[in-house]
Order: sequence, then structure tokens, then C-alpha cells
Amino acid sequence: MNRPLHLQKVLYRHPGLARLAVVVALFLLWEISARWWIDPSFLSPPSRVVASFGELFETPGIPKALQITFWELAVAFAISVAAGLPIGLAVGLSRFSNRSLMPIILLLYGTPQVTILPLFILYFGIGPPSKIAFGVSHGIFPIIVTIVAGVQNIKPILMTAAHSMGASRWQIFRWVIFPHMIPTFFAGMRLGMTGVLLGVLLAELYVSSAGIGYFTQLFTQAFDPTKLLGLVSVLAAMAIVMNEIVRRAEVHFGRWRTD
Amino acid sequence: MSAKQDRRDKIASRAVQVGFLVALMGFWYFATAYWGVNRLLLPNPLNVWQELKDVLGSGEYLPDLKVTLTEVAVAFAISCSTGVTLGYLISRSQFLIKVFEPLLAGFYSVPIILFLPLYVLFFGLGEGSKIALGTTISFFPIVLNTIAGFGYVDRIFITAARSMGASDVQMFRYVLLPAAFPVILTGLRIGFTVTLLSILGSETLASLAGLGHKIVHLAEAMETARMFAYIAFVVVIAAFLNSVVSSVERRANRR
Amino acid sequence: MTAGDAAIRIRDVSHEFGEPGDAQFVLALSHTSLDIERGELLCLIGPSGCGKSTLLNMIGGLLTPTTGNVEVHGKPVRAPLPRDIAFVFQENALFPWCTIIENVKLGMVFQGVPKSEQEPRARKALEAVGLKDFMGHYPAQLSGGMRQRAALARALSLETGTLLMDEPFGALDEQTRMILGEDLSVLLSRSEKTIVFVTHSLGEAVFLADRVAVFSARPGRIKEIIEIDEPHPRSPSFVTTEKFSRLRNTLYGLLHDEIRKAVEQSATAVPQP
Repeated sequence: MNRPLHLQKVLYRHPGLARLAVVVALFLLWEISARWWIDPSFLSPPSRVVASFGELFETPGIPKALQITFWELAVAFAISVAAGLPIGLAVGLSRFSNRSLMPIILLLYGTPQVTILPLFILYFGIGPPSKIAFGVSHGIFPIIVTIVAGVQNIKPILMTAAHSMGASRWQIFRWVIFPHMIPTFFAGMRLGMTGVLLGVLLAELYVSSAGIGYFTQLFTQAFDPTKLLGLVSVLAAMAIVMNEIVRRAEVHFGRWRTD
Repeated sequence: MSAKQDRRDKIASRAVQVGFLVALMGFWYFATAYWGVNRLLLPNPLNVWQELKDVLGSGEYLPDLKVTLTEVAVAFAISCSTGVTLGYLISRSQFLIKVFEPLLAGFYSVPIILFLPLYVLFFGLGEGSKIALGTTISFFPIVLNTIAGFGYVDRIFITAARSMGASDVQMFRYVLLPAAFPVILTGLRIGFTVTLLSILGSETLASLAGLGHKIVHLAEAMETARMFAYIAFVVVIAAFLNSVVSSVERRANRR
Repeated sequence: MTAGDAAIRIRDVSHEFGEPGDAQFVLALSHTSLDIERGELLCLIGPSGCGKSTLLNMIGGLLTPTTGNVEVHGKPVRAPLPRDIAFVFQENALFPWCTIIENVKLGMVFQGVPKSEQEPRARKALEAVGLKDFMGHYPAQLSGGMRQRAALARALSLETGTLLMDEPFGALDEQTRMILGEDLSVLLSRSEKTIVFVTHSLGEAVFLADRVAVFSARPGRIKEIIEIDEPHPRSPSFVTTEKFSRLRNTLYGLLHDEIRKAVEQSATAVPQP
């Protein structure tokens, strides 16, 4: 009678521990249901998925496919940032270009781009270029929109203060707009990364001759949930790591906002 | 800036927008009509217009539209009911918020589109896998916004209501609900948008019917002009539905 | 006072926002003339919207008068004169991404002070306001009062002859502003700076100023100028004297009707979209 009460107190003081317990419970549920209740051609228990990681990576073509996907993600992200940053600055820093171009950008951002996925394949082929292009089309808009918003929400008093101390246009950019923008820039990169992941994975899953999309289809048709779950977990881990890198950078460069 | 200058600015920026659209259409037309761009890659805009009229006139789109909208409606209904209920239950305790909110937010950062192959394996190529994906994707913004809405009501309102002797039901009806409502509504709007997107996306990736499937089917048959017509149709439908949802949100918030 | 002595000379200055006939047209300040002596602390006090901040911004070159002109040390003001004039604003105008000492140095970077001088001058200014232990902190880590001290240090480090302060303690609580006011009086009595200080607080005006210019409601005009002949630095006990109350009451009498007028104006004004 005493023990559970004690446990309750410990959990209450450490929500992280409780969180861990929830995750473990979910995995246990998955393990038990996959072992005894569900047809093994649809779901396999996590223990088996983990145990067959080695086998998965030995499947011919899998390491290569993961490498290609990773490379597509990296290139699409790099292009999105390299193009989105200057466009965002150009649109955000001028009142006129903001007024005239922003609605066009928002219009493009708002269209369901997945409907034109077949066009990307038609124009760029089924190789990496179409995946990269589709990734960029998903990644670039959040970056532009975030940077435009970031450039604009500088407190006017800071601009006035810099102006009153005789700052030149370049100095205002260098010391006021630029540092103000850095956290926004990383926030944009985080959203851009989410977009790039979505775009590249959508295109990969749509059609692929040697990428991960080919293998997900293969494993689905072969009713091989072990390998399918393994591959999906690896991709999810890749996505989490890439998101986390950008998020850490965002926290690091935005220190002055929170402490 | 004076009002006159402001007006001139507004006209000029409109001109840039119209100019952009005109140039785009002009470029498209000339590219296909005179510069010899392959019609299979880029159809003539006039052709696309013909096809669009044909699609709309013949009612050929109806079965696919029905499939897509049904999937969206079912998925959204499931994620709304489960998301709002779970979100409310979690928001009742600071402890549960601390446990579940980071968990849900962390899970949300995984590209959920990766579940599609699994869902296709579980539920097959039909409507089940689309509904499952749409539900999963839209569940997260809805549950997270519900938690944010109910869980972070300013203490001062609660204290004020308690001091005036509000009962639990009254507290919910007059304090919690109105305070949380706009936040939840935002979650529902985002949830609807991503449901629509993920249903269209999963139809594009692997399906037997629906508007996304139709577009892929036309792409594979190299009927590019008709595909463009369908894309335009879908884009307009999506814009219409999203603007309806946004205006519902705005109107509800105005009260 | 002879005209040649004036550090700041304001002649027939008006300021309008918007164009006459527009719904948003506002005559913020109407045909005002004023001379401010070298080394003097002048307080501008008046109801909200009477144009006192507008006048301050015109002295500093942040706004251009619609009519009339402003001269500082005989030079006409058309743009900010960072070598002659430093500002302290009401809001927190520190750059949140710079530490306190970086904030102070940045003013000197803008002003074009040689690099080797920046560090010692910044340290000196921060010591003067009592922040030498917080130089490496970010503004978000400090209290509102400390942030305003840092903003003051930034202005002092620029070593300008003139300091313009726009309700510098406006966002602080009563006790913090009392302490800051006392410290400011001590600090400024040691310098030869000409200071124009906008405030809402009657007590602050009497405690700090050599002269107080009382503004009328919109369109703003100087209604009267009150002399406070009490030597600097002023001791905290000045507040408890009969003289202080008498001066404060005089100001209250002058202001009361104007404030009522201003409140009635703002109640009938077209609501801003």
C-alpha cells in the first residue's frame, strides 16, 4: 500500500521519468500485440525489428538507397536556404517588394504542391533531381516567409536608437537587422527542414528506382513488415537527427532571448 | 508616408502582381504555341482550358471528388473528436501536460508521411490507408492546440471566477471554453489543411481512386493537358475549402 | 539669460502629422519657442499627446519640424547629431542580442569612436551607473531599472554635451524611479551636460529640474515655465520640504485643467483603426 504511493510521488516530481514510462508501455503494448494478437505478415514486434537491423543493412541496395536519400535531403536543404535567404531579405527589407511580392509567395506557398508531384517527375525524371526539386519546392517557402516576418518585426525603438547614435545604413543592417534576424533565420531553417523532409520523402515514396521508395514498395508487396518497419525507423531517426541539429543551432544562437 | 503616396504604392504593387501573372501566362502560351516546347511536357493553355471545360461539363470528376471528400471528412471527424477529447483530458492536470505535451510534440516532428507504407500494408490501397494517414497527421496539431488552449488559461481569470463562486460547470462554460476556443479553432484549421494535403498526397502516392489518383493516372497516360486541368481543379477546390475553414475561424473569433 | 548663452535654441517650431484635411491630421505642437541654457536640466511636462516627446525628437533630429527651426550649439539640426546629442528612451532600447557592455560600446561604434577608447569609456560609464558587475549580462537577465541604468550608461559614454531623455523611468515602478532619480541627480551634478527630460511625474520634474516647461493640451504650447532654484545634487530630503510641496502644487494647478482637456479630447477623437 505504501509503495505505489511512493512511486506516484517520484513520478510526480520527475515528469521525464513518467514520459519514459509511457514510451516503454507503448513499446510493450506493440510487442505483446504483435507477438500474440496480430497476423505477423502485417506487424512485427519491435524486438524483431531491432534484431533484423543487421539483415536490413545487408540487403543489397539499402545502404546505397539511404545514402541517396540523405544526399537528396542535404542538397535540397542547402538550395532552399541559399535561395530562400536572399529572397526573404529582398522581399522583407523593402516595403514595396514586400507589398507586391508577398501575396504571390503566399499564394504559391498555399497551393497543395503534392498535386503537381507528377509534373516534377515528368520534368526532372525519376532520379534524385526530381526529389531534390520537390524538396526545395517544400522547403523554400517557409524559409522566405519566416525571414520576411523576422526582418519586419524589429522593435521600431531599436531602429530609432541606432539612428539617434548616428548608425549608417550598413551599420544598421550589420548591428541591428542582422543579429535580430539570426534566431528567425534558424526558426525558418527548422521549418524549411520539415518541408524538405516532407518533399523529398513524398517524391521518394511516389516513384523511385533505387531509392528508399523502391524498397518500401518492395517490402509492402512482399508483406515483410519487419524490414519495412526497420527502414521506416531508420528514416524517422534520420529525420529526427536532422531536425534536432537545426533546433539545437536555433536555441544556441537565440540565447539572448530566453536567459 | 502621406496617404497619397500610400495609394500610389498600393496601385504599383497591384500592377506588379498582375504583371507577374500576365507574364507567366504569356510565357506559357508562347512557349507552347511558338517556341516548340514538347506538348507532352507542357500543354498549350488553350488546350488545358478546353479540357477543363470538358471535365467540368461531363461531370467526370464527381466519383473521384466524392472519394476524396469522404476520406477528408472521415479523417477530420476522427482526428477532431479524438484530438479535442484527449487534449482536454491531458490539459486537466499540469503533470499530464508535462508528461504528454513534449511526447506529442516530439512525435509530431517525425515526417508522418513515412507511415504511409505501413498503413498501405495494414489497410490496403483503398480508402482505409488514406483515412488513417490523414487522421494521424491532423491529430497532432489538434491535440497540441487543445492542450495549449485549455492548459494555459491565465490563472487570474480562474481565480477571479472562483472568487465569485463559479461552479466547475460554470468555470468550463464561462472561463475555460471561451479562453481556449480561439486556440483550439486554430488547431482545427491547421488540422483540416493538413488532412486535405495528406489525403491528396497519399492518393498520389498509392491508391485506387480519388483526385490525387486521377492526376497520377493521367500523368502515366501522358494526357498532360487533362492532367493540368485536373491540377487546376484540385488547386481551386483546396483553396476554396481552406478559405471556408479560415473564414469560419475568423467569424468565430470575432464574437 | 542672454540669447548667446543658449545651448539649444528653438524658434517658432510646429509639427503636424498627416496632411491638413485628412481624418488623421494632428497638430501635435504649435509655434513654440524656447532657449535652453548650457548645463541646464529642463523638464518638459504636460498631458499625453501635447507634443513634448515630439519636441524632444525634433531637438534630436529624429523628426523634422513642419515650421521653424532648432539649433544646437549654433548648428541647425536637420538629422541626428550623434556627436552632440545622446538619447535615453522610455522603452527598453537596448539591443537584446548584445551584452550590457557590448550595448554601450555599440553606441561608440556608431558614433565612430576609435576602438582603443571604447572599452575604457564603456567601463567608466557602467561604473558610474553602478553596473560594473553586470557588464557581461544580456538585457533580458536584468531588471527594468538596471536596463534603464545601462541605457543611461550608453548615453553617458557617448560624451555628448546634450542628453535628451524621453520619460526614461516611465516604465518603472515608483520605488525604482525614486532611487534612479536620486542617483541621476548626483550623477548629473558632476557633469556639465545640457539635459532635456520629458516626464509625466510632477515629483520627478520638481526633484530633477532647474526649470520645468508646462505644456498645454493639444495643440501643444508651452503654457508656463517654472524655476526650481535648489542646488544640485539634491538630497532625498528635499522631497519632504515645504518648498518641494509648494512647487509641486503649483505644477499640479497648472496641469490639472490641461490634463482634463486632453482626456476629453481623446474620448471624442476618432478611434484609430
